Amino acid sequence: MTFARRHVLTAYALLAFGYLMLPIAVVIAFSFNDPLGRFNFTWQGFTLQHWENPFGPPGLRDAIVASLQIAALASLVATILGTLVALALVRYGFRGRGLTNLLIFMPMTTPEIVMGASLLALFLNVGVATGFWTIFIAHVMFDISFVVVTVKARLAGFDRHLEEAAMDLGANPFTTFARVTLPLIAPGVAAGALLAFALSVDDFVITLFNAGSTITFPLYVWGAARVGVPPQVNVIGTMIFLVAAGLMLASVLVQTRRPKGTS
Amino acid sequence: MTRPLTRRELLERAALGGAALSLPAFLAACGGGNGIEGTATTTAAGTTTGGSKTLADTLTISNWTLYIDIDEETKKYPTLEQFTAETGVAVDYIEDVNDNDEWFGKNQAALSKGQAIGRDITVLTDWMAARMVRLGYVEKLDKEAIPNASNLVSALASPGWDPNREYSLPWQSGLTGIGYDPERVGGEITSISQLLEDPKLKGKVTFLTEMPDTMGLMILDGGGDPSTVAKADFDRAIERLQAGVDSGQIRQFTGNDYSGMLAKGDIWAAVGWSGDMVQLTADNPNLKFVIPDAGGMIWTDNMLIPTGGDVFTASTFMNFVYDPKVAAQIEAYVNFICPVDGAAEEIKAIDASLADNTLIFPDEATLAKVKIFDAEAADDNAYKQQFQAVIGA
Amino acid sequence: MGWLHRHRGLVPYLLLAPGLAWLALFFVVPTYYLANTSLQTGSLDAGYAFTWAWDNYADAISTYHEQFVRSLQYAGIATVAAFLVSYPLAYFIAFRGGRWKGVLLLLIIAPFFVTYLIRTLAWQTILSDSGFVVNALQTVGLLGDGDRLLATSTAVIAGITYNFLPFMALPLYVSLEQIDGRLIEAAEDLYASKVKAFLRVTLPLSLPGVFAGTLLTFIPAAGDFINAELLGTPRQSMIGNVIQSKFLVLTDYGQAAALSFTLMAAILVLIAIYTKVLGTERMGV
Repeated sequence: MTFARRHVLTAYALLAFGYLMLPIAVVIAFSFNDPLGRFNFTWQGFTLQHWENPFGPPGLRDAIVASLQIAALASLVATILGTLVALALVRYGFRGRGLTNLLIFMPMTTPEIVMGASLLALFLNVGVATGFWTIFIAHVMFDISFVVVTVKARLAGFDRHLEEAAMDLGANPFTTFARVTLPLIAPGVAAGALLAFALSVDDFVITLFNAGSTITFPLYVWGAARVGVPPQVNVIGTMIFLVAAGLMLASVLVQTRRPKGTS
Repeated sequence: MTRPLTRRELLERAALGGAALSLPAFLAACGGGNGIEGTATTTAAGTTTGGSKTLADTLTISNWTLYIDIDEETKKYPTLEQFTAETGVAVDYIEDVNDNDEWFGKNQAALSKGQAIGRDITVLTDWMAARMVRLGYVEKLDKEAIPNASNLVSALASPGWDPNREYSLPWQSGLTGIGYDPERVGGEITSISQLLEDPKLKGKVTFLTEMPDTMGLMILDGGGDPSTVAKADFDRAIERLQAGVDSGQIRQFTGNDYSGMLAKGDIWAAVGWSGDMVQLTADNPNLKFVIPDAGGMIWTDNMLIPTGGDVFTASTFMNFVYDPKVAAQIEAYVNFICPVDGAAEEIKAIDASLADNTLIFPDEATLAKVKIFDAEAADDNAYKQQFQAVIGA
Repeated sequence: MGWLHRHRGLVPYLLLAPGLAWLALFFVVPTYYLANTSLQTGSLDAGYAFTWAWDNYADAISTYHEQFVRSLQYAGIATVAAFLVSYPLAYFIAFRGGRWKGVLLLLIIAPFFVTYLIRTLAWQTILSDSGFVVNALQTVGLLGDGDRLLATSTAVIAGITYNFLPFMALPLYVSLEQIDGRLIEAAEDLYASKVKAFLRVTLPLSLPGVFAGTLLTFIPAAGDFINAELLGTPRQSMIGNVIQSKFLVLTDYGQAAALSFTLMAAILVLIAIYTKVLGTERMGV
C-alpha cells in the first residue's frame, strides 16, 4: 500500500515536470532546426550550425549579457531588501503595518504598462538618463514584493523557540540571526531570489519603457520576432539553462554532508 | 559584401504574384527616367534648423529589425561601415523599433516636453510619421545636403502629410495583401470577401491588428477608397468585420505571428505582409501572396529626424542611402520595396534575379492595385476606438 | 550592541527602511503621478489637462466590466490549476528531493530563461491544430473533430497557468520544506491514515505557502494581457488588453490610468477578504 502511494507521488511529480519542460523540449529541438527562410516554425532539417555559432546574430550576445547582469544584481538587492522587510513584518509589532502591507502588494497589482510609463515619467522629470541602471532600479522595485511574500511564508512557520534557546545560551541578536535564523530561512530566501531572478530576466513591458538604448534579451526577442527569431535564440536559452543546471549539479556533487536544520 | 547563398536560392523559389518583370515597366511604374533628374526640390532655400554644416562624431539611428544589410559572418553592417569610411561619422545603429505605437508610447513623454530622445534618425510608418510631423516632434531635413532626394520614386514623392518631403524620406515600402495556402484552401483566393464568407475557411482566417492594413483591405473590398476614408465605408467595414468575429469565421487578430500559424497550417489564409511571405515561401514554396482583386495596401516606413537630432549629419546619411548603388546594396538584403529610382539597375550587378522579383520592384500592374491609407483617418481616435472594440481591446 | 538593545523599538523601522524607501521613491511617486493622470482628459493634439475627470472611472467600469470580470475569472481558474499541479510537485521536492532540491527548483524556473515569447510559440507548436496533443484528444473523444485548442479560452487559461507555475510552486515548497517530518510520523503513529495525516497536519502547516503562492499567482495573472493576445480571440480579451490598447494605441492615458486603478482596487479588496478568511496571524501578515 505504502509502495503504491509512494510511487503515485513520484509519478505525479514526473508528469508535472514533464508538463513544465514540454515547451523547453520543443525549444531545444528547434535549436537544431535548419530553416531556409528566417522563420523557425516548421521543421526543415537537422543542423548543428547554430550551436557552433550561437552568438551569430548581432546584438544577441550583448542582450543576453545585459539581461543576466541586471537579473543577478536586481535579484541580489531585492532579496536583501525584501528579506529585511519580511523579518520586520513577521517578527515585530510596529505602527503602519497595514500601510506596509499595502505598499508591498500594490506593485504586484499594477499593470506593467502603466507602471513602466509612470516610472519613465519620473526619470524624465528628474533628468535621469534611461539605460542599464534605470532597468535595474525598476526590476528591484517590482522584485521586492515577490521576495517579501515568499520569505514571509517561510518565517510564518518558523519556530521561535530555537532563537530563544540560542539567546538563552548567550548568543547576541546578530549571532542568533546569522547562525540560527538565517540558515533556517535560507530556503525561503533562496526561493525568493530565484523568483526575483526569473522575473527580472523575463521582464518585457517595464523594461521596454525604461531601457533607453540598452537591449535586454526579451527586448531582443520581441524585435527579432517581427522578422523571424533566429534559432540561436533557442540555443542561448538552452545554454543558459544547461549552465545553471550544471552548476547546481556540481554543487550537489561537491557538497559535503552536513546535518540539516530541523527536518 | 558577402551574401549567404541561401538568399539567392530562396528568392528563386519565391513564387509570389506572377506578373512578369520588365525593367521598362518598373521604371514606368516608378515614374522615373533613369534616376538622376533635376527637380526643383534639391535646393530648397534656408530650410535647415540649427544651420550647422559640420558633421557630428556619431550618428544614432533607431530602426526596425533586419532592415539594413548585414554581413552575417562578421556581424557588421557594410552600408554603415561604408558611410563611416566616407564621412568619418561613426554610426550607432539600434534596432529598437518593434511597433509604431510601442515606440511612440515609450518616447512620447520626452518628445512632448521637447526633449531630445538620443536619436538622430528614426524610422516610422506613414501614419505614425504623419503624427510626429503634426505634433511637431521632428526636425526639418537639410535638403541642401540631400541632392539625392530627387531619386525618390515619384509615387512616394508627395504624401498628404508631408507634401514637400520636408520632414521625411522613405526607407522601405511593403505591401499588405493575403497570404494563403492554396492546397489547404483548395483553390485560389482573390478577395477579402472570400475570407469572410467562405464556410470552408471558418476559423482558419486571421486579420491584422494594424488598423490601416485591415481596414484598408476591408474598405477596398466594400468598394470604398481607403486613401480618403469615408465614414459610411468605415462603418460598413466594421460591421462586416464584427460579424466575422462573432461567427467565429475570423480566428484571431494578429501581429506578425500569423506567419507561424500559416506555416503550421493552423490557419489557411491571413491578411499579411509581403516581406513575411518571402520568408515563409522559402520553407514552403506552396504558399502564395496575392493582392486582392479589389486592391491592396502599400505602406512606407519613413526616415525622420526626431527633436534634438543632428540635422546635418542625419541628412548626409539620408543622401548616402539614396545613392542608387547604396540603395541596391541595402535592398539586396532587406527585400522590401525600394523607394530609390535606379536601384533596380544597380541591383543587377549584385544579383540579377533580385531585379526580377516583383515584391522588391513591383511592376506597374501591382502598383496600380495598391493604395496608401488615409493618414488622418489612421490617427483618428473615433475610428481607432471602433476598431479596437472589434479586435477585443 | 548596547545601542541596538536600548533602541529595540527602532529595529523594525531600521529593517523596513531600505526596502520601503526604494518602493516609496520608485513606486509611490510614479503611482501618484499615475493617479493624477487618471483624472485628466485630453488628447495628443489638444494636450492633456487635469480636470477631476471622475468620468474616466465611471466609463471604465461601465464599458469594460465584462473584461474585468473575465480577468478575475481567468486568473482564479489559473490559480487553482497552478495549485493542483504545483502542490504535489512542491511536496515531492520538499520531502523526496534530498540533495537534488536545488536542481529541481532550478528546473521549475527554467522556462523563464527562454523568454515569454519563445515559450508561447512553443506552446503554439505543441497545441497546434494538427499537433499530437489535439490529435490525441480527438482520438479519445475529448475534443470534437473540427475543434481546436488554440485561440480558445482554454488556451488562454492554460497559458496563464503555465506562465505562473513557478510563482505557486516555489512558495509552496518553501513552506512544505519547513515541516518536520516527525510530526507526520507522529500522526501516523497515532493511527491517522496517510490522507488524514496530510489533511490534518501537512496541509495546515503549509498554509502560509498556500497563501503566498495563491497571491503571487493570482495578482499578476489578473493583469496579464499577453496570453489573451497571442492565444485568444477578441472574445477572450482581458482588462490588461484594454489597458494596453488605451495607453499605446488610443493614447487615452486618463482612461488607461483609471482602468489600472480600478483593477488594483479590485485585487486589493479580494486580497483583504482572502487574508481575513485565512486568518492573519498564521500568514505573518
